[in-house]
Amino acid sequence: MTTQVALDSLDKDQMKTFQDFLMSYNKLSEICFMDCIRDFTTRKVHSDEERCSLNCMEKYLKMNQRISQRFQEFQMIANENAMAMAQKTGKM
Amino acid sequence: MAAQISPTDQAKLQMMQEMEIEMMSDLYNRMTNSCHKKCIPPKYGEADLGKGESVCIDRCVAKYLDIHERIGKKLTAMSMQDEDLMKKMAGEQK
Repeated sequence: MTTQVALDSLDKDQMKTFQDFLMSYNKLSEICFMDCIRDFTTRKVHSDEERCSLNCMEKYLKMNQRISQRFQEFQMIANENAMAMAQKTGKM
Repeated sequence: MAAQISPTDQAKLQMMQEMEIEMMSDLYNRMTNSCHKKCIPPKYGEADLGKGESVCIDRCVAKYLDIHERIGKKLTAMSMQDEDLMKKMAGEQK
């Protein structure tokens, strides 16, 4: 019953967010696995492999944050320029 | 103004907007991949971004968007030139 209610309240945006989250989870695993795991003589994960993977994840998230900040700044400048151009051409 | 737009045009407009959003998020993802590859060496001694890495990311984003814009401008110029040429060719054949 509770799942029914929860599913009903999930709208399109939330589904998209969830999908994005799953996608970035998979991508993160792939990147950090490729960068950190090199030894296949044992099936155990080394402590340095684990440390590397976890650091990789945290660093990747921090990088993402920074990129999104910078991207937003550029977007804002581009918007302002477009507005200024529109005003200029509108006056002419 | 809004009343003048027919429903089909409105649907087209919405589709264009959706395509643009999709394009932007694709651009963003590609940029993230590229800047990660170029700026973060695959040694993860610590979890924080180093100073050099941070600066590299800032420049990488700026440069990526700059190149994106330049290529876009050139691409439009080239396709416009192409179109003109095609029109001329079609005119000569008549």
